[in-house]
Amino acid sequence: MVDSEAPKNQLLCLGLNYRTTPVEVRERVAFPEARVAEAVQQVQTLKGFEESVVLSTCNRVEIYSTHTHKQAEAAHDELITYLVNRFELAPEQAEALVTYKLDAAEAARHLFRVVSGLDSMVLGETEIFGQVKAAYQLALNSGTTGRTLNKLFQQAFSVGKKVRNETNIQRGSTSVGSVAVDLAEKVHDLKQCRVMLVGAGEMSRTCAQSLLSRGAKSIIVSNRSHERAVELATEMGGKALKFDEWEGSMHEVDVIISSTSAPHFVIRPDQIQQVMKKRRWEPLLIIDIAVPRDVDPLVNGIEGVYLYDIDALQAIADEGRREREKQLFVCEQIIEEQLNKYGFA
Amino acid sequence: MPPDRQILMLATLAFLAGVVSAVRALLSGNWRPRHQWVAMLIGFALQTTAVYLRGQAVGQCPMKSLSDILIFISWSIVLLYFLVGSTYRVSLLGIFTAPLVSAMHVLAFSVPKSFPDYAEKVKVDPYVELHAALALVAYAAFALACITGVMYLLQERFLKQHRIGGLFYQLPPIQGLARAIQRLVLLGLVLLSVSLSVSFKLQTPISNPKLIFAWAVWVLYAIIGFIMWRHVLSPRQTAWLASVGFIIPFISLWLVTSHG
Repeated sequence: MVDSEAPKNQLLCLGLNYRTTPVEVRERVAFPEARVAEAVQQVQTLKGFEESVVLSTCNRVEIYSTHTHKQAEAAHDELITYLVNRFELAPEQAEALVTYKLDAAEAARHLFRVVSGLDSMVLGETEIFGQVKAAYQLALNSGTTGRTLNKLFQQAFSVGKKVRNETNIQRGSTSVGSVAVDLAEKVHDLKQCRVMLVGAGEMSRTCAQSLLSRGAKSIIVSNRSHERAVELATEMGGKALKFDEWEGSMHEVDVIISSTSAPHFVIRPDQIQQVMKKRRWEPLLIIDIAVPRDVDPLVNGIEGVYLYDIDALQAIADEGRREREKQLFVCEQIIEEQLNKYGFA
Repeated sequence: MPPDRQILMLATLAFLAGVVSAVRALLSGNWRPRHQWVAMLIGFALQTTAVYLRGQAVGQCPMKSLSDILIFISWSIVLLYFLVGSTYRVSLLGIFTAPLVSAMHVLAFSVPKSFPDYAEKVKVDPYVELHAALALVAYAAFALACITGVMYLLQERFLKQHRIGGLFYQLPPIQGLARAIQRLVLLGLVLLSVSLSVSFKLQTPISNPKLIFAWAVWVLYAIIGFIMWRHVLSPRQTAWLASVGFIIPFISLWLVTSHG
């Protein structure tokens, strides 16, 4: 005989992210990568819990689960208690633990938004898709997913792909570093791209790292303090150049990122004209991050030279953010349609 | 209307669908490369069938009237687009190719006395057919160099004026475009050189204007090729040359066919 009173398997999501919880608390309850498999199994063994997936990134910790509690609140409390015990939080830390507690359709909507990058700090970023996929795969391998979560996560991946394919949510750059990469990619084949840093400021380092992480071929660092240049070059696997030598090597690179503290222009049109002659018209991208500027703006008038100062980079990044925000409504509509399609509405 | 013309009409519609898709993409900034590619593929399949049927109907390679020449060149353009497009961005080259091919089809239908019947040939000279076909495929390579030149000029303008958005993200790097122009001009030049060397072996005489114009086009592109090879001009200037230069072979075709 079937027990009609038997509680149904219900979906829930308990989480905290960069919006709800400060980093001091987030880092306290983040699951190290090597302990996530253990965590999904611990959640599964909690009273009334059946399936579980744990997503732990630098910006969020979320537990997706199914339970048979009659009251959803009881299941949420059970998970909070688990987190407090698991991370041995002091009462005041437990007090500061602000979480969101989502059930059924709300939990599905949240996961669909997360996978699509709509809940990310950088709207539309793509890394989260891979992180959710890895979290699900780990739970699947640990045997803690069942019919409900398997279906939900497959649906989420399909929604994530749909949102990215049918909207421009991931297009454009939203940070100075990514604008630099986009520009370099539209001037050169990045894999053949040689980069020179003139001045070793923090932002030029960020730009150079973005370029290297996307496959730039090599890097040369030149700085007034040669030790600093050597240190940075070593960190990025490049070559250091004495500060009085960088001008002679300009024709050998495809991207120059300048950020010296000089009070005057250090790159002038007459120099670049000579460089372009040696380069036989191969295009040159110059990114001037310095304030006051290092590069005479007249350089942009030289054939084959593309000059961007910090304001230009910032304006492009701002425009990228605005463009993504404009797409938000379309993305939400797609998610609502898909929630209806999968019977969550 | 004969079957080849009916199929050609359908091919035109397929390419126009590609144009609509390109315009929609430009207006919305939402790119669907697959839509473009499918439209081009359907258009190409129909175009090939139409050229084949037309060849059967006239008993030779259909390259005698201006309408036939336009169709043959547009067929070669689409063929080259599929062959060379993968070396950079097929989808985007399609966005620029579809309007050109559609315009050539519309022009082929609109010229006076389009698709005339040919006087029956007693004997088909394979060298004449080879000479003409190679010359027209060479012209198609120049047409693609022209399209790539336009793409270069657009991307160069976006980069210089800091207009980063929409089409900018879809266009390939300017360095790649500059190289693509060089390769396409070289390809066209090699094909035209072979075509002209075949003309020395012809037994059937070809009208003088045809040969003179073909040589004029060869000289023009040899100069452009030399300028590119020696880096005499900047890539932007050579992109202009490749884009504007195509007007000469295009006009020459008109003049040649009007001289019979």
